[in-house]
Amino acid sequence: MIITVEGLHKSFGKLEVLKGIDCEVSVGEVLCVIGPSGSGKSTFLRCLNFLESFTEGQVTIGGHNLTGPKTNLNAVRRDVGMVFQGFNVFPHMKVIDNIMLAPMKVGKVSRTEARTRGMALLEKVGLTNKADVYPSTLSGGQMQRVAIARALAMEPTVMLFDEPTSALDPETVGDVLDVMKTLAEEGMTMVVVTHEMGFAREVADRVLFMDAGVIVEEGTPAQIFESPQHVRTQTFLSKLL
Amino acid sequence: MDFIEYLPPLLRGAGLTLVICIAAGVLGSLIGVVLGTAKASPNWIARFVASIYINFIRGVPILIILLFTYFALPLLLPALTFSRGFTAVVGLSVYAGAYMAEIVRGGIQAVPKGQSEAAEALGMHYFARLRFVIFPQAMKIAVPPGIGFLIALVKASSLVSVIGFVDLTRAGRIVTTLNQEPLLTFLIVGALYFVISYPISLLGTWYERKLA
Repeated sequence: MIITVEGLHKSFGKLEVLKGIDCEVSVGEVLCVIGPSGSGKSTFLRCLNFLESFTEGQVTIGGHNLTGPKTNLNAVRRDVGMVFQGFNVFPHMKVIDNIMLAPMKVGKVSRTEARTRGMALLEKVGLTNKADVYPSTLSGGQMQRVAIARALAMEPTVMLFDEPTSALDPETVGDVLDVMKTLAEEGMTMVVVTHEMGFAREVADRVLFMDAGVIVEEGTPAQIFESPQHVRTQTFLSKLL
Repeated sequence: MDFIEYLPPLLRGAGLTLVICIAAGVLGSLIGVVLGTAKASPNWIARFVASIYINFIRGVPILIILLFTYFALPLLLPALTFSRGFTAVVGLSVYAGAYMAEIVRGGIQAVPKGQSEAAEALGMHYFARLRFVIFPQAMKIAVPPGIGFLIALVKASSLVSVIGFVDLTRAGRIVTTLNQEPLLTFLIVGALYFVISYPISLLGTWYERKLA
């Protein structure tokens, strides 16, 4: 298991948003997390690299126990890539510099090596011709692909996606999903919080339905989308159709 | 009536005003970057210390800071007996630091939180995030109000005449007692302040145009 979550609880003040999450992800698995807004799915994802601290429970990711006494969070995060809903590309740097920054400053990779790696990643996300422009000239879908390349530049073993297409224009969603699909086919372990049911159905190995801070149901895409067992899952899916 | 003979003392005063303003502008900006960063930091002790300094200095008139540094500090600690010029620079720097800190803090906090989170998710430690991601964006936001404050600092520097430092203002007053021509003298003094502060405005305009 590359990710193990046991009894995860998280509260913001008096509001308990995660009420005991247990979950495991194996190497190379693509796990999609679906559920209504406010169900705690983004918070759950952000706990996996400790961008969000949690109140109770254990998270082990890539062999690191997040709350262990000797855990170096920055070392954990080097192995865990993250892609955000709002892209968060660095606007003051050219596209290629966005991708080269972490390998050079965190990974201590040489400039030449970082650039070679960066250009290869830009080719992978289909943006070779955008290496030397600033992000402000890109569309949302292009920015998100830069953000994916930036996360991949640290050569992570796990990728976390937090609603990566929710802020995009409909016509650019496809390009981002295609990149993610390729990544999944190459065997990357991925946890994807998403509203794209088509993607979840096609790419996920397992789908996890969350509501009100708990995992209500989990199973293969076929199980969840064709014959959901729980009434809350049925209600949620029926609203989407 | 021959005005040329009174011009050298005025120019000398202007030169000293320029020197203390540059020194206090640089030192004040450094204090501002350190304290502004502390005030925006996740560490409560750093925030607390920075808040005390900023609130205290902003609550006291610059005149009192100058008078205290020059006349009172040596009574507390004789080692802290400074020359007039040094006192002027220390007083103005301490004062500028508090205001610059708030400008820098505002710049840092105006950078969207997602920027820092993205850098954090890449495994960058706090100071690397500041240096490569937050500062370059925060400084762009902080420079225009910072320039505005530096112009105000040039004018506030006229107050150093109270401790007997012969800056441009005091040079003007001395010259008027000699030539009995306050009209012309203070017109020249005013013009010289303009000559010092206007290039700072130009610097600001140039910077904003460069960003656009």
